[in-house]
Amino acid sequence: MSSDRPLTDAASPHPPASQLPPPQPEPPVRADPLGFSVEVPDPFRPPLRDQPDPTASQPELLQQEDAAESRAVAVGEPSAEFAGNAIRTAKYSALTFLPRNLFEQFRRLSYLYFLAITVLNQLPQVAVFGRGASALPLAFVLLVTAVKDAYEDLRRHRSDRAENNRLAAVLSAPPAAAEFAPRKWKHLRVGDVVRVESSETLPADMVLLATSDATGVAHVQTVNLDGETNLKTRYARQETQLRFSRDGGVGGVLHCERPNRNIYGFQANLEIDGKRVSLGPSNIVLRGCELKNTAWAIGVVVYAGKDTKVMLNNSGPPSKRSRLETQLNRETVILSIMLIGMCTTASVLAGIWVLNHRGELEFTQFFREKDYTTGKNYNYYGIGMQIFITFLMAVIVYQVIIPISLYISMEMVRLGQAYFMGADLDLYDKSSSSKFHCRALNINEDLGQIKYVFSDKTGTLTENKMVFQCASVHGVDYSSAKDTSGYSVVVDDLLFTPKMAVRTDPQLLKMLRNGGSDEEAKLVLDFFLALAACNTIVPLVLDTKDPRQKLIDYQGESPDEQALAYAAASYGIVLVERTSGYVMIDVLGDRQRFDILGLHEFDSDRKRMSVIIGCPDKTVKLYVKGADSSMFGITNKELDNVLATKAHLHKYSSLGLRTLVVGMRELSQPEFLDWQSAYENASTSVLGRGNLLRSVATNIEGNIHILGATGIEDKLQDGVPEAIESLRQAGMKVWILTGDKQETAISIGYSCKLLTNDMTQIVINNSSKESCKKSLEEALATTKELRVASSVGTLNPESSGVILALIVDGNSLVYILETELQEELFKVATECSVVLCCRMAPLQKAGVVALIKNRTDDMTLAIGDGANDVSMIQMADVGVGISGQEGGQAVMASDFSMGQFRFLVPLLLVHGHWNYQRMGYMILYNFYKNATFVLVLFWYVLYTSFTLTTAINEWSSLLYTVLYTSLPTIVVGILDKDLSKSTLLAYPKLYGTGQRNEKYNVNLFVLNMLEALWQSLVVFYIPYFAYRQSTIDMSSLGDLWALASVIIVNMQLAMDIFRWNWIIHAFVWGTIAATAICLFVIDSIWFLPGYGAIFHVMGTGLFWLLLLIIIVAAMVPHFVIKAFTEHFNPSDSQIAREMEKFGALNQVNRAEIPMRTVS
Amino acid sequence: MSVSGSESEASRRSSKKPKYSKFTQQELPACKPLLTPGIVIGAFSLIGIVFVPIGLASLSASQEIVELVDRYDEECVTASDKIGFIQDTKVNKACTRKITVPKPMKGPIHIYYQLENFYQNHRRYVKSRSDQQLRSKDYKDPKAVIKSCDPEATTGDGSLIVPCGLIAWSLFNDTYAFSVNKKEVQVNKKNIAWASDKNSKFGSDVFPINFQKGGLIGGGNLNDKLPLSEQEDLIVWMRTAALPTFRKLYGRIESDIMASDEITVVIQNNYNTYSFGGTKALVLSTASWIGGKNNFIGIAYVAVGGICLFLAMGFVVLYVIKPRTLGDPSYLSWNKEDAGYSH
Repeated sequence: MSSDRPLTDAASPHPPASQLPPPQPEPPVRADPLGFSVEVPDPFRPPLRDQPDPTASQPELLQQEDAAESRAVAVGEPSAEFAGNAIRTAKYSALTFLPRNLFEQFRRLSYLYFLAITVLNQLPQVAVFGRGASALPLAFVLLVTAVKDAYEDLRRHRSDRAENNRLAAVLSAPPAAAEFAPRKWKHLRVGDVVRVESSETLPADMVLLATSDATGVAHVQTVNLDGETNLKTRYARQETQLRFSRDGGVGGVLHCERPNRNIYGFQANLEIDGKRVSLGPSNIVLRGCELKNTAWAIGVVVYAGKDTKVMLNNSGPPSKRSRLETQLNRETVILSIMLIGMCTTASVLAGIWVLNHRGELEFTQFFREKDYTTGKNYNYYGIGMQIFITFLMAVIVYQVIIPISLYISMEMVRLGQAYFMGADLDLYDKSSSSKFHCRALNINEDLGQIKYVFSDKTGTLTENKMVFQCASVHGVDYSSAKDTSGYSVVVDDLLFTPKMAVRTDPQLLKMLRNGGSDEEAKLVLDFFLALAACNTIVPLVLDTKDPRQKLIDYQGESPDEQALAYAAASYGIVLVERTSGYVMIDVLGDRQRFDILGLHEFDSDRKRMSVIIGCPDKTVKLYVKGADSSMFGITNKELDNVLATKAHLHKYSSLGLRTLVVGMRELSQPEFLDWQSAYENASTSVLGRGNLLRSVATNIEGNIHILGATGIEDKLQDGVPEAIESLRQAGMKVWILTGDKQETAISIGYSCKLLTNDMTQIVINNSSKESCKKSLEEALATTKELRVASSVGTLNPESSGVILALIVDGNSLVYILETELQEELFKVATECSVVLCCRMAPLQKAGVVALIKNRTDDMTLAIGDGANDVSMIQMADVGVGISGQEGGQAVMASDFSMGQFRFLVPLLLVHGHWNYQRMGYMILYNFYKNATFVLVLFWYVLYTSFTLTTAINEWSSLLYTVLYTSLPTIVVGILDKDLSKSTLLAYPKLYGTGQRNEKYNVNLFVLNMLEALWQSLVVFYIPYFAYRQSTIDMSSLGDLWALASVIIVNMQLAMDIFRWNWIIHAFVWGTIAATAICLFVIDSIWFLPGYGAIFHVMGTGLFWLLLLIIIVAAMVPHFVIKAFTEHFNPSDSQIAREMEKFGALNQVNRAEIPMRTVS
Repeated sequence: MSVSGSESEASRRSSKKPKYSKFTQQELPACKPLLTPGIVIGAFSLIGIVFVPIGLASLSASQEIVELVDRYDEECVTASDKIGFIQDTKVNKACTRKITVPKPMKGPIHIYYQLENFYQNHRRYVKSRSDQQLRSKDYKDPKAVIKSCDPEATTGDGSLIVPCGLIAWSLFNDTYAFSVNKKEVQVNKKNIAWASDKNSKFGSDVFPINFQKGGLIGGGNLNDKLPLSEQEDLIVWMRTAALPTFRKLYGRIESDIMASDEITVVIQNNYNTYSFGGTKALVLSTASWIGGKNNFIGIAYVAVGGICLFLAMGFVVLYVIKPRTLGDPSYLSWNKEDAGYSH
């Protein structure tokens, strides 16, 4: 950005329209031609009091009253009363790490369950596994998480330390000499005066006191705060700027609001030299911003450390839970019931066994009740206790049926999926060089089940790059623009060219250039002056390769204003410089200075903005621009002009253009003075300033002479119509929620092919509850009628289906949302295939999303790019932010962020489909594999007199979930693809898999459990019958069972894998090999009972025969079910998979398939 | 929040672009198996063709094994109070059994004892042992009382038992003396235990101490002069059986026995299975690659193989009756729906 330099030495400031409010009422370094002097109002005066009352006692009194709502900062006198500037994002210290981290971890319910089982196992009577062994998995998981947390925290500590130890130049406190000395950031205090150089980062939230610019302008980049890369202009007040340049120091007391998280709001005043100066958001620079294009700036710290706005805004995205995870709870309950059932069975049978052998236990060698050393019973406390202890032990042994490791596996799979989504080049936006980001890591799979897409319009469907297209000036339409020759300004041998040239209308251009003093030409000139001056644009000068040529870049926060300023420049009215007090405009080669006497910023109530300008000819003019609805209410009654302009506006908006109306009025001296005093009063008050300013603006904005109207094209983003078509084919309903007016919304609806001419439109646009009710009832009646007609129509293929489109206006929604009418709206809306909501307030957007979300089970997705979409993004099941032009707030609130609307198609149809398919399968598979293992353990207990002995080595039991079976399912969950990207994009209807819950439902769960039951029976009983009445020992049989179980569950996975690449091969077969190696290692430890068993048993032929038949017998049912359903009841995915492999080839072979196999 | 110039920013931005590789784009070359009719029928046929012969081979191997089982616990105790009889140390418990050999038996003939309803896998029992003690040099240290051996860790006065625990304590102690056609036959009791157990698990310098002196005699005694690694009966016994009915190797007869020879066995019926309703049997069996006599594995192979052949034929019939072109888009659900409307 080094080439960005203001056009002239004096910087060119502006307050951005929507956010930066009160402009500088008093132009600096200038004899005031109108000579106004204003009494300084009392800043803490309640908003309703009109007369200033500057008595000495009053402020103090009020100061005390308002102490709770404000903080007082003595400039230059650091105060220890408020938070220091040291920040702490780290969660733990060395001392608190262990307890706090453990506490954090055990807040997860599954870990608590894990812990309870481990604790249970420590009781000597109940201990099933060795104490160390049983604690191992939990310890492992805790350790891994703790190491991860510690590493992250260490990084936070480091960055905290680096941040805290950065140096800032601080003005020494009064007794010392007044000079700036470096001090560490963490030692900064509220009240310190800090000097920041160009390109330095601001250490705290500071009120600007003085800058290198004589007019007190400073530019900051706020990319760290809100993601916006354009420069913002901030001002030091003239009073402080002057005093600083005079004495090199600044005194005074500053009163400001308490710390809050509103980045765009700040209200304060400064008492200096007996005056009160009001301060607003344009006077504060925030921590984390960088100073740009300004040699230095001096400010006083008002919020430090954790009170700064950036720290207060430092909260992550909202936490959402995925649909699958919620559904999974139902299956967990079923499994818990199974667990309790198995434990009860085992313990009751154990009780019965003891009861039947009651008298014999003493002389039963394998029981022996008594310990003859003590003469008492050993570990035997009667039948009741025996049942209870057996139950607890059974819980420990069978707990694996509820797969704790599943939660960890899911996290890892989502991490992997997020990586691949981020790495996908199809989701990378070259124009903004932004890649896809998964901000929420727990709802990846929800992307595969979306049924409703709620989209913002501006910046989401459209580029939010506005291009001026046509103008209507004083009732004459100039829309035949063709010529794109730019216009340049020559200053001191330098050629200044606006960065963007706009096509100009030759007739209009001619009239402007040659008009002279003609009344018409004067109006045209005023029109363009309004476009050039009535805005908050800052012209920045960029160097080009040719040193004599410079580019003017209009920086501003409203793209409409940029477009208008470029348009004015192309017609020869070039805005070249802006300071806090005036703008320099090159009017057809003649440089003129216009004093900005006041600016009423845009707000959503007035829907217009205005400036009051002191012209070179000493007249004072009010320029207003705004939405047509707000402008026509304040016009003078020149009917012809108004009617002609209205007609043109209608034409423009039906072309899909955004329209603005421009008007002006010349102010008389008394009128101006009245306004000025009111304006001064309003803009120096601390509380309720916004309302006061608004009423001042409303008072002055009246009796406006309409200069004309503009039409700006809002360009659609690439591929939007195609993307919407794909989404609709995939069975999603696309709703557009926009703040634009109805005509614009409808025209955008047409241009992105959401609306077509064969649709029947239902429009609800009313201004009372009764009329809303009436039109809703009518709409319902219409839908019913049409549905009957279309259901009759299905018999007749000619007229099948009437498509309905609903268009609702925001005004009507006021009467519908949150009332009993919303039920009717829901009914109508769900009958319509297209819904457009226009003139929506941000909260209404969220309300519409909630309307669907709360009434159906369907998943909702909201996509938007602006601050006004935040509420809707947070409300929807899945929120997607477009990292585009309107800043970072939508992205900050979103779960996923990307560069373009059209990426929604690959995101949902491809990644969503994959994620859902993979995750659904992984959950079911984890249930299945653990159930198989637990059931094998359970069958064995029936042959151990119900005493919970496990033939499988306890280490193997513990490693089963951790090592033997976990890795392949994670890798498959990340890498397997049921269909290729091109197929999924070519057949959007394949997305229905997720919408219909095809990959995860109760039926599949039951099927998986039945397979687990069958396989466990095969694993257990084939060796049981083969080894009955033989010399087989526990360890050998246990090794066979363990190995067979692991191979079978991995075979099951292998059968269900769609695509075998080398990584999947490595993990599936590697896991089986690793299991065998583990068994070898465990059986090589001499002090374990199984020493040598696996080597011994593997030396017998019977072992291999059994292993083979177990695998085959266990897999046959799964294979049969799979072969049968895939051939005779194929899913769409299955057909598509076959198409991928065989394409149209098989058309020929139809008859041959069975033949070939017979021969 | 570091200072970044325009160049570094530009490079940072361009580096944000994901790098192309087959891995990152999830386009690794992969095999996409599909269950085509050919594969389904082929797989079932293959399994059938492989399994049926294996099953038949296993069955014939099992059939060739000659196995003689003689349950003797009932007949060897004539007294009505069986438990009293077996617990009486002064009674002569010798018992003679005669077995006629139906088919010739080739040596080595394995001699097993078979216990039924004896839960060597009972949790309480399995845990009552100490593998450390079995080979520890410090086994004599009186302080080294092993808790895991309870309730058979020490004698009544608290002195150490080696080998401790219920498993060792319950050592099987019936003995068998064989003669074929009145001629005495030697039983080879060497190498009846796993070599790995003898070499590494049971110490060659660990000798029994206070064995069967814990207040209740559970079974056989050990020779105090022999190290544990040579007490093979103990080693075999301590390989706890997986199932409640089990056999353990007693010894081998190396010579062949002809058909219709008469084997006379003199049994010292010492071991108490009467308290808990267990049974005892003597088993003589020839050896084979398949282990002991068991038709189950052969039958299972033939059954699974047969079922798979049947399934193969079933699928052939199904594919003929209801053929479907693989990858025919007209089977896609939305195409079917469209077709439905047009009819």
